[in-house]
Amino acid sequence: MQGYIYPNEFELQWSLLIVLYPYITGLVAGAFILASLERVFNVKEVQPTYRLALLTALAFLLVAPLPLQAHLGHPERSYEIFLTPNRKSAMAMFGFVYAWYLTVVLLLEIWFEYRKDMVLWAREAVGWRRWLYYGLTLGATDLSDPSLKFDDAAGRWITVIGIPSAFLLHGYVGFIFGSVKANPWWSSVLMPVVFLFSAIVSGIALVLILYVVISLFRSRPVDMRCLDKLASFLFYAMIVDVSLEMLDFVHRLYESEESIDILSQMIESRLFISLIVLQLVLGTLIPLGFLGVFSPALHRGLARGSDELRRLIYLMSAVLVEIGIFSIRWNVVIGGQLFSKSLRGLTVYKVELLGLEGLATTLVLLALPFVILWVLVKVLPPWEEPAGLRRLDGV
Amino acid sequence: MKVPQQVARLGVVFAAAIAALLVARSFLVPETFGELGHYRAAAIDSIAAHPKKYAGHQECAACHDDLAAKRAAGNHRGVACEVCHGPQQAHVDAPLDVKPPAPRDRGFCPLCHAYNPSRPTGFPQIDPVAHNPLRPCITCHDPHAPVPPAVPEECSACHGQIARQKALSHHANLPCVTCHQVPQQHKVTPRVIRPTKPAERAFCGRCHAEGASGPAEAPRIDLAAHHPRYLCWQCHYPHYPETQ
Ligand code: HEC
Ligand code: HEC
Ligand code: HEC
Ligand code: HEC
Ligand code: HEC
Ligand code: HEC
Ligand code: HEC
Ligand code: HEC
Repeated sequence: MQGYIYPNEFELQWSLLIVLYPYITGLVAGAFILASLERVFNVKEVQPTYRLALLTALAFLLVAPLPLQAHLGHPERSYEIFLTPNRKSAMAMFGFVYAWYLTVVLLLEIWFEYRKDMVLWAREAVGWRRWLYYGLTLGATDLSDPSLKFDDAAGRWITVIGIPSAFLLHGYVGFIFGSVKANPWWSSVLMPVVFLFSAIVSGIALVLILYVVISLFRSRPVDMRCLDKLASFLFYAMIVDVSLEMLDFVHRLYESEESIDILSQMIESRLFISLIVLQLVLGTLIPLGFLGVFSPALHRGLARGSDELRRLIYLMSAVLVEIGIFSIRWNVVIGGQLFSKSLRGLTVYKVELLGLEGLATTLVLLALPFVILWVLVKVLPPWEEPAGLRRLDGV
Repeated sequence: MKVPQQVARLGVVFAAAIAALLVARSFLVPETFGELGHYRAAAIDSIAAHPKKYAGHQECAACHDDLAAKRAAGNHRGVACEVCHGPQQAHVDAPLDVKPPAPRDRGFCPLCHAYNPSRPTGFPQIDPVAHNPLRPCITCHDPHAPVPPAVPEECSACHGQIARQKALSHHANLPCVTCHQVPQQHKVTPRVIRPTKPAERAFCGRCHAEGASGPAEAPRIDLAAHHPRYLCWQCHYPHYPETQ
């Protein structure tokens, strides 16, 4: 603690879990928007990651509410917000945005995308897997031409609806922070937009990492055209994201409201590591530099490394980006609570290790989507395989 | 046109889900929900049914009328009995069996009276370390009608923050009474008898205008040219004038 703070500001109410939550929804929205590139905008190069991106979005979306649940005093009552909707509360309505996105957008899109394969798998599998796949098709086993065409058209339409929905899903998280009038660190109309673009950045980086790592484990070659494209998109998205953040920053500096002193003190002391070092230098400048030089984003690549080198650089940049985006969430959520509303003092936040809202829970919740993704990938393999191989794998 | 098989199947699933939600709603939403607002109206009754812990100070007056009257006339009229004696419904129910505690030690009163800059102007504050140490507060102040045993001499007894701030400022050497005329009664009934406050720019000009007769070390300004349309204290806090 330093300077003067009000008694109720000593302890932070929104802990590490609330940092995790926008991070995860951001990954969902970002992964989905990447998937829709292929579908709606016909970017053929990223096709190998289309299904992977959808499954990733689903895996993370399923985990997204858990940090909130763990943060609640009475998690067992949380379903009540669905039964008695409160239209005046942004937080309460978010439950419906989530439900809409999960059921109407993501599950439907995956279902239409996989229906044909599921029918085929149901035909060739035996035992309980047969029933599993049959159940998943909901009995819609018609594989006639018009029927498959319908799947395709439906998938496309859902993606078209899905893009604004994904924007809504994550823009909403930014909206909730941005509309806290009393908090000068949060209150900004740019907040939803900044959140959204950082979400896109984190989603693309995540899919890139997953694609490279999974290919490594399956000892399949990585499609370099796809990877180059992903890296370029990552670069463009980061440019937009950084510009928006700089705009926000410069705007705050120029406005110089009375909060500016305490905020700059906070950045120089409490947030120095997470904002300057992690978010700005490691999470933004270094990856931007590497991607700018090696990816074909600018003038087909300033320097053309070997495939091997580029893979490594992309992977490293993407990991740094993920760390950077996590720091962004940290800086927003924790930063917004570190300074006193008296604008005269700063408090400190110490992460607990084992408590319900501590580091251990966070790590478990971060690992969980990967476990879910692993199961999803087993059940709904996102890659086209010769049928024989699949059976040999015992999948 | 024939409805595609997919739509039919999905329709069934969604219809089932929505129906399930509606059915669940009819079971799970409490009956009195929404009667009075966005909450369960019966919650009021169930909360009212909790066992009472605080009796409220009116209850105490029924038996301790002397102390109640004393408190009501004194400076602690705004501090309820149970703030100091703890929740005492049990004592009201069985006065002879349950004895309320009384906070007689020195540590208690500073919870409200220790110096803290966020307390409002004029709230009586002391420094617990320096203020008549060692003896319990109640040896000199009656808890039910506290008065200072002697009228405080220093303004800092009640205006601690201003006094401390001024002590660090360029105005440190100016006594409060250079700028405020304080009737002696202000120290006895501060809210009723109020001191004066400077009202115009010329007041500060007595020392700061060019050619003024005040102390030589006071920096001079041209009263007519120095931000003429504002009062000085719209920019300079008089008790800490270097902040602008
Ligand atoms: C029904 C009458 C009654 C009411 C109402 C009542 N008291 Fe008392 N109280 C008594 C009596 C009688 C005694 C004296 C008990 C004794 O001396 O053994 C007493 C004693 C006390 C004492 C002194 C205990 C001690 O150690 O000597 C305190 C303090 C006290 N009451 C506080 C309260 C407060 C606070 C309330 C209001 C919440 C309250 N009383 C309401 C009857 C009452
Ligand atoms: C600011 C705190 C404070 C408040 C408010 C307060 N008391 Fe007390 N009370 C004390 C303290 C301290 C004592 C112990 C006095 C002593 O031992 O000389 C005490 C003692 C008593 C006693 C014991 C008898 C006596 O006179 O010593 C009674 C009865 C009592 N209080 C009742 C009340 C009632 C009734 C009210 C509300 C009208 C009330 N008190 C409000 C602090 C408080
Ligand atoms: C719950 C907070 C609270 C507690 C505890 C408390 N007081 Fe007070 N005290 C007040 C308030 C409120 C006033 C009235 C201030 C005003 O007039 O602006 C006051 C006024 C006073 C005054 C100044 C009277 C004057 O001339 O203005 C004295 C002396 C005092 N209390 C002594 C005590 C003592 C001794 C105790 C411990 C037994 C005590 N107080 C406990 C809130 C408290
Ligand atoms: C030895 C007697 C004595 C003791 C013990 C004592 N005081 Fe005082 N108190 C005084 C006197 C005398 C004043 C008059 C002002 C001055 O000169 O500081 C005073 C003034 C005050 C004032 C401000 C005066 C006002 O009217 O606003 C407060 C508040 C106060 N005392 C609270 C306490 C508290 C709390 C304690 C216990 C920690 C305590 N006192 C202990 C004698 C005492
Ligand atoms: C017993 C406590 C006490 C003492 C001693 C005291 N004051 Fe005050 N003073 C108060 C209170 C209480 C107020 C009213 C604060 C309010 O209503 O916001 C007040 C208000 C004032 C105000 C503002 C009046 C207004 O209309 O806004 C001035 C100026 C002031 N005091 C100056 C002084 C000076 C100078 C001294 C010393 C010579 C002094 N006071 C001593 C308690 C005290
Ligand atoms: C240089 C002149 C000057 C001196 C010395 C001075 N004051 Fe003031 N004070 C003022 C002026 C001017 C105002 C009116 C400010 C306003 O209206 O915004 C004021 C306002 C106040 C007020 C009411 C507003 C507030 O800030 O809470 C209090 C109380 C007060 N003074 C107390 C004191 C006390 C106590 C001292 C001595 C420790 C003191 N003043 C010394 C000029 C002075
Ligand atoms: C009784 C004479 C006197 C009065 C009245 C007076 N001042 Fe001063 N003031 C001084 C003196 C003496 C200094 C310089 C003290 C020093 O620097 O040692 C000073 C310094 C200042 C400073 C300069 C601080 C700096 O940064 O150097 C400002 C500003 C100021 N006063 C504003 C005011 C205002 C506003 C008022 C009217 C509310 C006022 N003064 C009334 C005597 C006075
Ligand atoms: C609109 C705001 C404003 C108002 C009104 C204002 N001042 Fe100033 N004053 C300033 C600023 C800003 C400075 C410092 C920059 C400068 O020297 O001009 C200052 C500086 C001063 C200084 C210090 C000069 C020095 O050499 O250190 C004094 C003394 C002073 N003002 C007195 C007054 C007095 C007396 C009044 C009322 C008659 C007053 N001011 C009204 C804004 C204001």
